[in-house]
Amino acid sequence: MLNILIIGNGQCGNRILDAINRDAFGTKGRFAKYLSHQKYKSNVQTIAVNTAVNDLKEMKFTKAKDRIHTPHLHGVGANRNVGKHVFEDNKTLIMKNIHDRGDFDVAFVITSASGGTGSSFTPMLIRELKEKCNYPIYALVILPFREEGTLYLQNAAFCLKDLRESGADGIILADNQFLKQMGGNVESAYNGINDMIARRLLFLLDALDSEMMMVTDLGDFKTVMSGGAGIATIGFYEADSEMPIKSVIKKALSPEGLLFSTDAYQEASRSMIIIRGDRKYMSIDEVSSEVEQLSSSVGQVFKGIIIRNDELPQVLTVLTLESAVELENLYAIAVEAINYERLKKERVDSNKEVDRAFSQINGMDPSY
Amino acid sequence: MHHFGKTLTFMSLAVLLLLISTGSASGKTLFNDTIEEGDGYQINNYVIEVAEVVYEHEVATIHVYEDESKTPKFDKFLSLGDSFTFTIEGEDVEVTLLSVYSGISNRAKLSITITDASIINSKTLGEVDGGHTAAVLPKTPILEMIKTVEPDGIGIGDVVTVKVSVTNTGDGDAEKVIFSDPTPAKFVLQETLIAPTGQTTIKKGEMRLIYVYTLRSTEPGTFVFDPSTAVYSNSIDDEFPQASSNAPVIVVEDSIKKANLDVVLVLDEYTVDRRGNLEGTIRIKNTGESPASAVTVNVLVPTGLKYSEGDPGIEIISGVPTIYMESFGVQQEKEMSFRLKAIDEGTYTLSTQSSYLFSDGIDPNAQSASSTSVTNAIYVKKGKYDYLLEQPIYVYIVPLLVTGVVAGLLFYRHRQYKF
Repeated sequence: MLNILIIGNGQCGNRILDAINRDAFGTKGRFAKYLSHQKYKSNVQTIAVNTAVNDLKEMKFTKAKDRIHTPHLHGVGANRNVGKHVFEDNKTLIMKNIHDRGDFDVAFVITSASGGTGSSFTPMLIRELKEKCNYPIYALVILPFREEGTLYLQNAAFCLKDLRESGADGIILADNQFLKQMGGNVESAYNGINDMIARRLLFLLDALDSEMMMVTDLGDFKTVMSGGAGIATIGFYEADSEMPIKSVIKKALSPEGLLFSTDAYQEASRSMIIIRGDRKYMSIDEVSSEVEQLSSSVGQVFKGIIIRNDELPQVLTVLTLESAVELENLYAIAVEAINYERLKKERVDSNKEVDRAFSQINGMDPSY
Repeated sequence: MHHFGKTLTFMSLAVLLLLISTGSASGKTLFNDTIEEGDGYQINNYVIEVAEVVYEHEVATIHVYEDESKTPKFDKFLSLGDSFTFTIEGEDVEVTLLSVYSGISNRAKLSITITDASIINSKTLGEVDGGHTAAVLPKTPILEMIKTVEPDGIGIGDVVTVKVSVTNTGDGDAEKVIFSDPTPAKFVLQETLIAPTGQTTIKKGEMRLIYVYTLRSTEPGTFVFDPSTAVYSNSIDDEFPQASSNAPVIVVEDSIKKANLDVVLVLDEYTVDRRGNLEGTIRIKNTGESPASAVTVNVLVPTGLKYSEGDPGIEIISGVPTIYMESFGVQQEKEMSFRLKAIDEGTYTLSTQSSYLFSDGIDPNAQSASSTSVTNAIYVKKGKYDYLLEQPIYVYIVPLLVTGVVAGLLFYRHRQYKF
């Protein structure tokens, strides 16, 4: 049984973590937490970290002991510099909480790249963990909507850079901009994205600790994640009716199934495919055909097959990327945003128009 | 022999002469002696008086007076040896002048005989100095007594007045009269107004009220008052038969005043489910003629019912609902309500025990009385949910345990997730 640590930092990380804990019950009912335990196949420890206590309070499926509040008013206001100071002030608290839970085989740290707490805490947390622990740590990072604002884009750019420099063993990307194709309002879009990520991560964790007909394990996962530019994404598709397994695999590798906009056949460096379902859907020929097609483009494809009677076929793909056009686009926009903020600040400092307005009444008193 | 015969004849003649000389062939000689002129000899209510003695002529005048008559009944002039006879109460009395004597007061010697001396009252026999005027003649007082009781019909506790009067209808005073008057049973002497003290004299023809007193009746019934009596004698201490009054009869009606408490228990229903409630009312009324005091009413609640609450006037004393009232007037009514709870199935009755005191107007001590009352049968039937209690204990324990465990688990889980 694997020992897995999952940390959710900031509001986004907390919500995804809570979604993971919810789905782990096996049902989506509100009272699932009263009536059953989370059905992790592995020994999974979850920790939610936040400066905003309200975000921690709204978590429903994560136990209170697994929520750490690092006090700083209510959040850091999307200011990564403030967040870094706060992390430093509370580092001991957070690290003690992690170390008290024992040793792990792998850790995942979930965060948004654009917020304040998550984007500032996560790189520093990973650095601390890498110094003190010897298990692989992967960051699951959610990229912002491009229209969320210049601050968020600025944060995302610097967060990703800090993550790459933190020593993380891999960065798994999920892009809100890409996933907003789900439609609906913003809240449902967010919740939908959180659920998607949670489901994929759970599938992955379940698969890594399952008995497979064809085996992929943590070692294979590490190998996949160590490939490419250290950036990965996850694809997933579940058939809602009987359909050929090859179609399911294709969909898992298509934009319909991926969390990040990429052409798997063009940009992927390594890949892992995990197939689960009833034996009757497991056409080895079809599987082999698709794997062969991918491997001809990607190179190394690890595959695993989990037989679950009476289940429709589900396919999870993990792709590490050697290039990411979309990421380059993001940075281009982020740079503009950074410049925009800088120029704005310079204007304020230089013009001081508001200060001039205030100074007009220096030395005057109100009369009533 | 010849001499003896002569002697005998001579003695017989002597005796005959003696008898003749005594004046009577078959009477008893009462007197044979001298009586001074003016004195007399009394036999019962007759006085033979020597009215006059003429010594020279050897004659005497003898008067015989009867009773207190001033005129002699017989006036006889006797010479020596003369006699006359008269009757006293049917017996012949012969008076013979035997001799006369002179002196300061002339005397006459008389012989007085009577055929049957049994009629003589010894207290009235003998010489009487001073003649008939000084004689103490025997009288016959007759006491007639009358006893009255008024009224002759009363109720218990009422008072009657008893009067006893006496009238001397005889010819002489009744001396040394002693009265007695028995107190009748079932009556209590209230007051004595007139009563004799010791011996007294009722003169001839006198009427006197001897007793006047009041009695209070204590029991109903018909009572005969024993006669009052009197014993007496005449002036010469002759005792006479006891005089006795009449025996009046009194009827005493049972009109004793009592207090009578009616205690009635009423319930709003007589069939109730187990664990249900019964509303009850106690109604107390004094239907008697006397007020009651120290009224105690105990409500006896059977096992299977339980007293829940009630009027403030109902107190719980030693587990028994009790009503106590210091006094309860005639025709006074009181009502108190209470509530019972049905505990066990079954058939029950509710009862009361009452006790109280009252004054009957006769006995100075208060009388006590008690009474009981009981309701109709009260049926307690199975409660609506009693079937639940008839299940084996595990039927209750297991769900309770499960519920407890589940509740505990839910609470534990809630605490786990509460931040």
